Amino acid sequence: MEAVAQKRKYAAKDYKSELKPIWCPGCGDYTVLNAITRALAELALPPEEVAVVSGIGCSSRIPAYTSVYGFHGVHGRALPVATGLKLARPDLTVLVTGGDGDGFSIGGNHFLHACRRNVDLTYIVMDNQVYGMTKGQASPTTAPDWEGSKLTPEGTGINPFQPLVVGLASGANFIARVSSSDPVNMARIIVEAIQHPGFSLVQVLSPCVTFRPEQQEWRDVVRTAVVDYTDDAARAARRLMTDDGFNVGKVLYKGSRPPFRPEFEHTDGSVAELEARFAL
Amino acid sequence: MNNDMEGAGAINTLPELLAHALAMETEAAERYGELADQMESHRKAGVAAIFRRLEKAEKEHLGDLAEMCSKVELPHIAPWDFKWNHSESPEAIDFTKVHYQLSVREAILLAFEHERKAAEFYAGIALTTTDTEVQKLARQFAAEEQQHIGWLEAWLAECGPGDALATEDPDPPLCQE
Amino acid sequence: MTITSVSLVIAGSGGAGVVTAGSLLLDAAAHAGWYALMSRSSGPQIRGGEAAAMLRFATEPIMSHDDSFHLLMAIDWDNIGRFSAEIPLVAESLIVGDPAHGEAPAALLGGQPRQAALPMTAIAEKIENGRPNMVALGAIAAMIGLPPEAMQAVVEKNLKRKGQTAIDASMAAFHAGFAAAADLPTIPKLPAVAAACEPRWSITGNEATGLGVIRGGVRFVAAYPITPATEVLEWLAPSLAKVGGMLVQAEDELASINQIIGASYGGVPAMTATSGPGLSLMIESLGLAVAAEVPLVVVDVMRVGPSTGIATKSEQSDLNIAVYGLHGDAPHIVVAANSVPDCLFTTQWAVHLAEAMQAPALVLTDQAMGQARAIVPRPAELAFIGQRLTATTAVEGERYKRYAMTGSGVSPMAIPGTPGLTHTADGLEHNEFGTPSSQASDHQAQMDKRSRKLTQFNYGDHWADIEDAEVGAGDTAIITWGSSTGPAREALRRYSAAGGKARLISLRLIAPVQPEKMAAALAGIKRAVVVEQSHSGQFYRMLRAFYELPAQTVSLHQGGPLAFGPGRILEQLNQLNAGSA
Repeated sequence: MEAVAQKRKYAAKDYKSELKPIWCPGCGDYTVLNAITRALAELALPPEEVAVVSGIGCSSRIPAYTSVYGFHGVHGRALPVATGLKLARPDLTVLVTGGDGDGFSIGGNHFLHACRRNVDLTYIVMDNQVYGMTKGQASPTTAPDWEGSKLTPEGTGINPFQPLVVGLASGANFIARVSSSDPVNMARIIVEAIQHPGFSLVQVLSPCVTFRPEQQEWRDVVRTAVVDYTDDAARAARRLMTDDGFNVGKVLYKGSRPPFRPEFEHTDGSVAELEARFAL
Repeated sequence: MNNDMEGAGAINTLPELLAHALAMETEAAERYGELADQMESHRKAGVAAIFRRLEKAEKEHLGDLAEMCSKVELPHIAPWDFKWNHSESPEAIDFTKVHYQLSVREAILLAFEHERKAAEFYAGIALTTTDTEVQKLARQFAAEEQQHIGWLEAWLAECGPGDALATEDPDPPLCQE
Repeated sequence: MTITSVSLVIAGSGGAGVVTAGSLLLDAAAHAGWYALMSRSSGPQIRGGEAAAMLRFATEPIMSHDDSFHLLMAIDWDNIGRFSAEIPLVAESLIVGDPAHGEAPAALLGGQPRQAALPMTAIAEKIENGRPNMVALGAIAAMIGLPPEAMQAVVEKNLKRKGQTAIDASMAAFHAGFAAAADLPTIPKLPAVAAACEPRWSITGNEATGLGVIRGGVRFVAAYPITPATEVLEWLAPSLAKVGGMLVQAEDELASINQIIGASYGGVPAMTATSGPGLSLMIESLGLAVAAEVPLVVVDVMRVGPSTGIATKSEQSDLNIAVYGLHGDAPHIVVAANSVPDCLFTTQWAVHLAEAMQAPALVLTDQAMGQARAIVPRPAELAFIGQRLTATTAVEGERYKRYAMTGSGVSPMAIPGTPGLTHTADGLEHNEFGTPSSQASDHQAQMDKRSRKLTQFNYGDHWADIEDAEVGAGDTAIITWGSSTGPAREALRRYSAAGGKARLISLRLIAPVQPEKMAAALAGIKRAVVVEQSHSGQFYRMLRAFYELPAQTVSLHQGGPLAFGPGRILEQLNQLNAGSA
């Protein structure tokens, strides 16, 4: 192992904490955690130079399961926390993890503006079309006729949110969809997402074994997307608008917008200079 | 999407074989350990014990392998460039294939399936390689995997009727955050 | 002795240029060596609405408006009646209007002020490019004793871009007004001041707030525009850039607060500024900053609530939400500025407190002080710099405890980038490592720690401004906070001038409460009046809940936008003492 240790500074395991996940066995999120740690190992990023930020939900538990710096905030606000962190500390690699409810419902506005603002973040959304922590209510990505929750016994009756279409329209600079049944591709795409400048959006189809056991069939339904990514937003939009949500395993869109970074007047200003303007 | 062996190319150098073996055994040991942790967290002692035993076995295996690797400079291979072709290593049980009510028997069968895949992987290399050293070592590795399969067969034989039953949970899921 | 000052209002409708006229007058007064305070009031229109600039000038520092105005200079009368409650006029007051615009509205005449006419439009029309507001300024200058040279200098500076012709036209109108004032009744004149007086600043409360946070070390600000806090942000954006910081305009207040949490977690001192509605949105995440122990500063420039309320006017009614608004037991810091220049002191102090205690600090200012411009003595240099206790090196074989139990309650914080000390900061209740925990013992220990770090901190003398007419003498106190302090201070001064002895206690540290310090401050006090601008008397109720007040304590409270003037407070002091005599 030493020879390996010399060659590669970090193994995937080095990015995992001692804390044992509380996810249900069979949950897709285990795979995502693994893919993230594999991706970080592949990038050989020192753990202290990486931060994972999350809100609330099953998938938002990820930060504590990693050995990098983590921030586990309140429901729906992971993206602004990550935005502040990355802008204040551009030297860090900042990932954001969360679920469909956290990101697209309570945090929906931040999602739009994070895509728009295009700060250099990687947002990994584990989409299971359900609220797991509160016992299985419909989420923004749930099909309108899903009757599995006491809150919406007749189904929600409203169309599901289309995260990738909305992400693209809002300005996300990198868009991919992966399946938790395809962990190695997921790692590869997370590496690409991290390396791509600007806001990268990775949707992971991550089944909820407890509240949506039928989602375990996703592994048989998903298919590797046939075409490679495009850098043409109009083409990407057409593809996303017409796909059924199960084309996975490939990057769908890569934009070339420069990441957001407020412009500075690079002056050697001092507080005394600011004060001088008030003096009479 | 699990095309483990499909399109697996030949391995013709010792360092390449060792890199594959090391990655696979490391992952297997870690995976068994994590599955044991999961089952322990969910108070499934019987299934957890199976995974823990397998973790221990893989760790021992890994120890020998690491010893072997320490004398060789291994190539770096990205997770998606291994010969098991864009999938996880054959020996690692897919995280999404387990369930918290997994029976002991199901756990053994799952492990059995993946140990068999591991053995097949090494056997496949032994068949296709052009290098005799690689062939020799791949056969040895395949034999070791066969040994694990043997254990699992024995455990399966020891299974009583109760081991085939899903663990029970009369309570509904709980609310958290 | 009481303050010698002159108070006046310039009012008019859109296009009359009263705000510009007020600013020119303030600058000219500064040039003449005076001290000044200027507030504004305006209609709801974005452009062109009626507006009033309220100014007070003195030869010594002032922190409050007077009870009434000596002069109302009305360039026209359109809708000025809506300001009548904010422009108290008495028999000695003088209204000067332009006959071209008719009679003064009855709403202004309740106090039976004197009236006079100044044909501003007619005078201005005789001068090429002459404007009535400059004529008005000329007349005001003559009436209050402001030397024309002071205005000349200011006009030259302000109209430099428009060229010499514009300067000449403005000054011609000014001089015409100056001359025409000879026919007007008189109001008090201020004496001329020697040019070489102490160094002074011209600053608004909102600018002072911005400067305070930069001085304290803040280098990251995220914010969403909201009246009347926007000027804090507008000042900060270019100023931060000059000192290597940045301001990000966020999508909403939920984003502002969370962005600054992220930046501060990253080790960069951070703040946001907002008003009541925005603070309401930030509350949940303020609790996160409490639980995750992330230092930050939130300035609330209070306006009239509830809901959208009166966005452009002042009230001291966010005290309750600031102190009690957070769910759970959430120890945090609440401080309040009590004057325009104190916005600088208090926000700088707040950064220091937040960083030292790794807790959120709320700063309450309000529209009245935030949007007021004052000519003040140059504020002192302050030693408060945000300084965070950080963990920098890993201890071999020991897992880092982000929330380690310490005597002070403050745990060394590892900043991302520090090797060996990675951890996850968490809003979930946690143990010392930060690992989520639902155990009673962890909750108890972490609550104790979060509370302890605030209660054990040494706040020094800054918790309140305590001012005695004569140290140790007197048995009457005014207890107040925020912008009610200015009029209270002046009431105290008048009370002393009349031979009374009283003490002012203006609380700067609202939370955590300081019962021992208050007890010492109230030593010998038998009677007190509590002054605040809140309909329900929030401050009085809070004092009642946490402090031993003198048996004879009365509450003087009313909602915004009207503030108690010094006279009303003085009257209350006199009543209190007459009743007890």
